[in-house]
Amino acid sequence: MTTLPTKQNKKLGLVIDLDICVGCHACAVNCKEWNTSGHSSPLHDIDPYGDDPTGVWFNRIHTFEVESEINGSKTVHFPKSCLHCSDAPCVTVCPTGASYKREEDGIVLVNPDTCIGCKLCSWSCPYGAREYDEEAGIMKKCTLCVDKIYNENIPKADRVPACVSTCPAGARSFGDLGDENSDIFKLVEERNGYDLMPEQDCAPTNKYLPPREKNNQFSSNKLESITQDKEIAFDSWKEIIENASK
Amino acid sequence: MHPSKSIIFFTVSSGTGYGILLCLSYLAFVTDINFDNNVKLLLIITSFVFISAGLLSSTLHLGHPERAWRSFSQWKSSWLSREGLAAVITFLPLIIFYLLWYLDNFFYIYFLHLTSALCLITIYCTGQMYATLKTIPAWNNKLVTPIYGINAICMGSLTVYCLSHFHEFEVNYLYNFTIASLTLCLFMKLIYWYIISKKTTSTANSATGLGRDNNISLFEGPHTGKNFLTTEMINKIKKEKANFLRLCFTILTCILPIYMIIQEPSLIIDVFILKLSFFFVLIFALVGMLIERYLFFIQAKHVVSLYYGENKV
Repeated sequence: MTTLPTKQNKKLGLVIDLDICVGCHACAVNCKEWNTSGHSSPLHDIDPYGDDPTGVWFNRIHTFEVESEINGSKTVHFPKSCLHCSDAPCVTVCPTGASYKREEDGIVLVNPDTCIGCKLCSWSCPYGAREYDEEAGIMKKCTLCVDKIYNENIPKADRVPACVSTCPAGARSFGDLGDENSDIFKLVEERNGYDLMPEQDCAPTNKYLPPREKNNQFSSNKLESITQDKEIAFDSWKEIIENASK
Repeated sequence: MHPSKSIIFFTVSSGTGYGILLCLSYLAFVTDINFDNNVKLLLIITSFVFISAGLLSSTLHLGHPERAWRSFSQWKSSWLSREGLAAVITFLPLIIFYLLWYLDNFFYIYFLHLTSALCLITIYCTGQMYATLKTIPAWNNKLVTPIYGINAICMGSLTVYCLSHFHEFEVNYLYNFTIASLTLCLFMKLIYWYIISKKTTSTANSATGLGRDNNISLFEGPHTGKNFLTTEMINKIKKEKANFLRLCFTILTCILPIYMIIQEPSLIIDVFILKLSFFFVLIFALVGMLIERYLFFIQAKHVVSLYYGENKV
């Protein structure tokens, strides 16, 4: 049903540590791999080997350059997938009831048999978490690997979303964010985890941990270009390298 | 936002059809609308074709049009569902009104007003569907729903006014009504354009949470190419082009019809030329309205663009 559940027994979600993420895109790749044969399979690609490939992805990594007076300039890799909001607008706008939020664990899912592909849910989501599958004519989205986290046929340690189990840096954590005694809840408390776009009032379950402040002597030095003139830029670099090698 | 052709056609076409009924409802209040049978038939066919063509077109953008009936179920929470339901329910009194009106049965008047009320409800639901989307600040605006209403009313009354040249029927009462609704439509659009040029709700800072006074820029997008989000939600139009299109709308939909309606009594031209010119006034006004709806979509920024290089929306 398109109304949101009045209570949630659990709030399963992800915590993404922006201090650790190295932007390798492994989480996005493994997400695609698992899900293209899972609950929402297949995740279609259009023109995959052509000049203009597009396709369905549930997880994407954006990279931002952040400049501040204290920390100088730094690069922040920013993975983004469905945040499984407590007050999910994508659920209430759905005209057919295909989009729903589960009472037992808070996961937001789409019923592929009743979705009419009107795309209104994608318009209502501030985070761009919904993916329209052109070939299938229906909306798809991150399922928090619902077919993996409860799967009794795989070892217990693997029963976490694909993006979490594959992250080589350990930047992603999974757990019940509604349980104050859980490790993941404590992690968010300890590191001042925050919501994305709180002004949209979606009450996202997933939290982001901010990059730690870098307090070394070099961090506050902004990089300056060695020349304004593009034509002599290469010569200047050549000079610097030659001097250094002497 | 991506300006979907089927949705733009739907709003203009169905809106005009509903507007014709609202206009007839107004006429029924102030005068007798028991026109000649040919006139009735003309108005019945025109309004029915406008409404049905629009509604059919609206299903074209669906991934699964054959499942459209499922959208009647979630009226408790979804404006889109309410819109679909209201649009279908409207057909019931509409058809009864058509029959009774054509057969000169006095009861048509009740069904006409009932139909008009349902038309207004349908338009209200359409407007609310857009106006309740917080993610698109240009639409999350108190003027959006009234603009859907005034667009329908002014296009409907202009259609009836123009059609009156083909089968002579009394539309003196419509003279002021049409001019007033067209003028109001223009003023509401001017205010709307002013508001959307000022309003911002979210920034790249709030979208990423990477500090308040930090300067954030997108260093690298998630793909080298486009994706669903960039094609559906991130569309841009040059300011000069948008201003030109706004001017086109203003002239085609508002100024030209008002000028023609006011100048008509002083025009000394052949009747055929007059008919033809009012036919073109209507066509131009409809084109102007299509342009205005196109701008409504293409100029609306979605907050997801903050993850793709935009700094504030």
